[in-house]
Amino acid sequence: MKQEIFDGLAEAVVSGDTEKAEKFAKEVISNGLDAYEAIMDGCSKGMGIVSQRYEAGEMYVPEILCSAEAMNVAIEILKPHIKADPAVSPKKVVLGVTKGDVHEIGKNLVKLLMEAAGFKVIDLGRDVSTETFVETVKREDADICAMSALMTTSMIFMPETIKQVKKVKPDIITMVGGGPLSPDVAENYGADGYAKDAATAVKIAKKLVGDI
Amino acid sequence: MFAVMTGQKLDRVPVSPFAMGYTAQICGIPLGDFYADGKKCFKCQLLASDLHGYDSTPMYAYASIGAWEFGGEIGFPYEPGHGAPYVKKHPIEKPEDVDKIEVPDPKTAGSIPLFMEVSKQANALGMPAVFMIGAFITHCGNAMETSRMLLWMIRKPELVHKFIGKIEGYEKLVTDWFVDTFGGDKCMAFAGGAIESNKVISPKQFESFSVSHEINIHRYALDKGVPSVMMHPCADQNKNLPFYKQIREACGWKGKYVWNFGPETSIEKQIENFGAHDVIGGNVDPPSFQTKSFEEIVMLCKDNIERGIKNPSGYILMPGCEMPPLAPPINVHAMVYAARKFGSFE
Repeated sequence: MKQEIFDGLAEAVVSGDTEKAEKFAKEVISNGLDAYEAIMDGCSKGMGIVSQRYEAGEMYVPEILCSAEAMNVAIEILKPHIKADPAVSPKKVVLGVTKGDVHEIGKNLVKLLMEAAGFKVIDLGRDVSTETFVETVKREDADICAMSALMTTSMIFMPETIKQVKKVKPDIITMVGGGPLSPDVAENYGADGYAKDAATAVKIAKKLVGDI
Repeated sequence: MFAVMTGQKLDRVPVSPFAMGYTAQICGIPLGDFYADGKKCFKCQLLASDLHGYDSTPMYAYASIGAWEFGGEIGFPYEPGHGAPYVKKHPIEKPEDVDKIEVPDPKTAGSIPLFMEVSKQANALGMPAVFMIGAFITHCGNAMETSRMLLWMIRKPELVHKFIGKIEGYEKLVTDWFVDTFGGDKCMAFAGGAIESNKVISPKQFESFSVSHEINIHRYALDKGVPSVMMHPCADQNKNLPFYKQIREACGWKGKYVWNFGPETSIEKQIENFGAHDVIGGNVDPPSFQTKSFEEIVMLCKDNIERGIKNPSGYILMPGCEMPPLAPPINVHAMVYAARKFGSFE
C-alpha cells in the first residue's frame, strides 16, 4: 500500500494533477506513513521524471509548471507532518539572475528541479548585483553559487561575481547557465560548472557537490 | 538586402547584422535613448550601417513587445546589464483582465508610435517602413507574464486563445495604419519572438495557440500589398518548422520572405523547407560575436556563407538573433570582411 501511495503521488506530480496530488498526500497522513519519505519517494521522484522528460524534449515548460503546482499542493499537506529533520543537512545553493536581467523562467526551473532533488535553494530572484551574491554566499555559508543570464549584456557580470564569491568562500562551487552561455564561455569566466538547461543543472550540481 | 529580396544581380552576399543596441553603443548614445527616441534609433542604425558598409534596413523592434502596447509598463534600458526594454508591469494579472482588456489604437499603443517614427525616417530615404506582425505567443506572454501564460495554456487555455484573438485584431490595425500611411508596397513586416521556442513550448502548443492566427495576419498583410516579410523564429524552433511552412503554403507562397532562424536550425533544413521560394538569412551564433576573436568570427561566417549561398532563392549573411550590443566593432566588420572574401559573385 505504501508504495502504491508514493507511486500515485509521483504520477500526480508528473501529470500535474493537483487533485490527485492532494488525495495521495492526504492518504500518506491518514495511513500514518512518513511525510518526509513521501516527499522524497513521491514528489521528488515525480519531479525527477519530469526533469528527464524535459531534457529528452518530451515535456515542455507549461507541463512542468503544472507539475510544480501539483508538487506544491502535496508538500503543503505533508510539510507539517515531517517528524524530524533528515540526518544530513541539504546542500545550499544561492541562485539568481545576474544584474540588469529580468528573465527568470530558466532560473525558476533550476530552482524547482534543484529543490526537488534535495538541495536547499536561496533564490535571490532577478537583476541581482555581484554584492548581493557575495553577501548571501557568505551569510548562508552556501555550497553552490549558481547564476543565470539570458542576455549578452548581463552575462558580463558573471566573471567578477565568480571572483568575488571565491574570495569570501574559496571552496564555493560556481555554476553558470542561460541562453548566451556556452561551455567555453563558462570556462573563460572561471565557473566550475555550466549547464545548458535546468535538468542538466541538477546533474552537474550533484556531480560537483560529490566532487568536494 | 532589398536587392536580394527582389532578385537583382548582386556583387557579393548581402550582410545584415541585426544590429540594434550595438549601433547605439558605437554611436555613443545611451541604450535607453535608442529605444525611447525613434529619431535616434534610426540615426544610429543608419550611421552604423554606413560605417561598416553592411546592408540592413533600420527598424524598431524589441523582444518584450506586447505588454506596453496593451496598457502595461516597460522600462527603458538605462542601467548596466540592460540590453533592451523590459516589462515593469503586465497588463494582465488576473483571469478577468482578459475580458476587460481592449484592443488598443496603434496610434497610441506603447511602442507602435516609435515603430512609426523610425519608419517615417526610413521611408524618407526610400527604405521600407517596418512594422511587426505575428509572434502571438511572445506578445501574449509579455502581456500576461510568461509563466502565467504558460500555466494558463494548460489550466485556462480559453483565456490564452481569447487574448491571442485580441492580439490578432490589434495587429490588423497596426497593419492598416502603416499601409495607409506609406502604401503597402513601401512596407515590410517583421515577425519574431522567443517564447515560441521549443525550449519553452511544444510544437503542438505552437500549433494550437498560434498557427491559425499567423495564417490570418500574414494573409491580411500580403493582401494589403505588403511585399516582403522578415521572419525571425527566435531560439530553437526546429519542431515548429513544419508549421512555418504551413503558414507559407496557406498564403500560396505569396510575397518575398526572409527566414532568420536561431543558430539551432541548420541552413540545410531551412533550404529544404523554404528554399524554392524564400531568402535564407544565415544564422551565425550571436553570442560568439561578443566572446570570440575576429578570426573565429570570419570562419563562422565563411561556413555560413558556403552553406547559405546554395539557397536557390537567395541568401543574406546574418547572426541568428540580435547582434550583442557589446560586440567588439571588429567582429561586426568580420561579417562584411567574410562576405567580401568568401561571398563574392564576381
